Amino acid sequence: MTPASARGPEHLTLALPKGRILTEGAALLARAGLPLALPGPSRALRHEFPGLTVLELRNQDVPVYVDLGVADFGIVGKDVLVESGRAVFEPVDLRFAACRLSYIREVGASGPVYQVATKYPRSARAYLAAQGIPAEVVKLSGNIELAALTGLADAVVDLVQTGGTLRANGLEERDVLFHSSARLVVNRAALKLRRGRLRPLIERLRELVAEGQQENGPFGQADRRD
Amino acid sequence: MSLSSRLPGPAVPEGTRDVLPPEWAQREHLRGRLAAEFAAWGYRGVDVPALEFADPRHPQDARAFKLIDVGGEVLALRGEFTTAIGRLVRSHFAGGPFPLRLQYGGRLWLRALTSELGRLREFAQVGVELIGVATPQADAELLALGQRALEVVGVPAVLEVGYPGFVDAVLEDAGLAPAAREALHGAIDRKSGADVDLLAARHGLEAGVTRTLHQLTDLYGGPEVLAQAGGLARGERARAAVAHLEAVAALAGEDLLFDLGASRRYGYYTGLTFRAYAPGLSQPLLGGGRYDLGGLPGAGFAVGLERLTEVAARGLPPEPEVVLALDRAGAEHARSLGLTAELAWTEDRAELLAYCRARGIRRWAQGQTLRDGEGAA
Repeated sequence: MTPASARGPEHLTLALPKGRILTEGAALLARAGLPLALPGPSRALRHEFPGLTVLELRNQDVPVYVDLGVADFGIVGKDVLVESGRAVFEPVDLRFAACRLSYIREVGASGPVYQVATKYPRSARAYLAAQGIPAEVVKLSGNIELAALTGLADAVVDLVQTGGTLRANGLEERDVLFHSSARLVVNRAALKLRRGRLRPLIERLRELVAEGQQENGPFGQADRRD
Repeated sequence: MSLSSRLPGPAVPEGTRDVLPPEWAQREHLRGRLAAEFAAWGYRGVDVPALEFADPRHPQDARAFKLIDVGGEVLALRGEFTTAIGRLVRSHFAGGPFPLRLQYGGRLWLRALTSELGRLREFAQVGVELIGVATPQADAELLALGQRALEVVGVPAVLEVGYPGFVDAVLEDAGLAPAAREALHGAIDRKSGADVDLLAARHGLEAGVTRTLHQLTDLYGGPEVLAQAGGLARGERARAAVAHLEAVAALAGEDLLFDLGASRRYGYYTGLTFRAYAPGLSQPLLGGGRYDLGGLPGAGFAVGLERLTEVAARGLPPEPEVVLALDRAGAEHARSLGLTAELAWTEDRAELLAYCRARGIRRWAQGQTLRDGEGAA
């Protein structure tokens, strides 16, 4: 990577997770005035634009890159951000990629909960502790619903978008830990040192989000339920 | 079977590291320059033990390495200097005279940090404490010393000032109960407008109060921030904080940045906090603030030596050339010229030449002469 010192003081490095947030996030940032075009089909992980470098990362790595200042700012889901425990600024709720982190059991299940499977162990532990449920958290990597269906766990903590997968598998949401959506995250030093570029960007993104919210009705996308 | 072959794994515990040349020399050079600058401002050096009694009231207790002493007492490895300096002052300088200016340096250990870029579990700091006075002049002195200390090691830095108690005072003026305040501190410190809205809804806050909370998340930038903060300050505590910061800013006379939404550890800091940022480095180089030192007002800052070495190494003077001395006289002659002289350990010229090639040593010294090593062999 080009050392930060080799670039101008106002150069920005942006961390974006592959997938939907990359597409929607890049489009939103372009509308907010950043000189970036959607990366075409290529294997490049780093894209250079005038005064801007874009890093394509795994979801979970965005808070790490931003916290350590390798990237100045990024976009990441609140779910991933909470789970990372990283101390970054999160000045704008971009309101897309809405979902919720929920506590889920088999329909009608009423036995004690000893094991809870999840991709989000930090959030799950905090929730269980707050609820006074003395269960063990089992960290899994995907298709968490299966853990409840196969008896690997008595409950799961997982992301829910529409609830369709849950219903199809005989599972139900018992509680919502929190609602998530895409957030603009900014490194603590970068927000101050490069505020000449970042502050106007934050203002513009807030305006764009507010406009989008009006177009989507009084509650906006983030508040839409299934 | 040797121990090392029975226990495969890393050679040193995670978050610790060996320091090799030339980093060691750079670090010692920086340590010396900083200590000399602190001393020139009247800060006298003290040392405190690396082993302390574990104490649940210690601010780093939860993250400290703990050991059991022979008598069963729990000891902790030093995790920060300020608490230890406070104890030292109460033991040895209880009667002053104040202000008392002290400097310190050494290693610290914290258990809970994961090892990653710039975040070790064993790390070195140097720092100062200005004890017994709480005036704007005292705060401005520390800001000026912090700036100057980085300047003398060739690092242009910008200082950012915060005041965690200001956020708490504004929240108190808004009529928020302590439980709601606690949660809001985190949201405001992260500048998370979304979390502020969520908590405002949960605690049933009025629109006007919520608007004030959002303003707190945007309270960062240059000196203009103080005027904005003045507009938010209703109660006495908040107004006193702004007045104090205005006095410090007037005395500092340099371009300070402010972040009055920063409220981390608001229960620990009793006044302003500050950090120094260097361009191109997204981690602070120096951090400090004002706290209660067991009944005495104290303020100070610490500089992380690992990070500083990374940033300042390029600006350091080059190390003197190393030469190989074939005799004592040659070594002394070379040293008198400001060179570093290593003594030859054998008569075998081929062996000496191979060593010099491997080490990058070009010149050999003998008596009063310095010659090219390849020719001498």
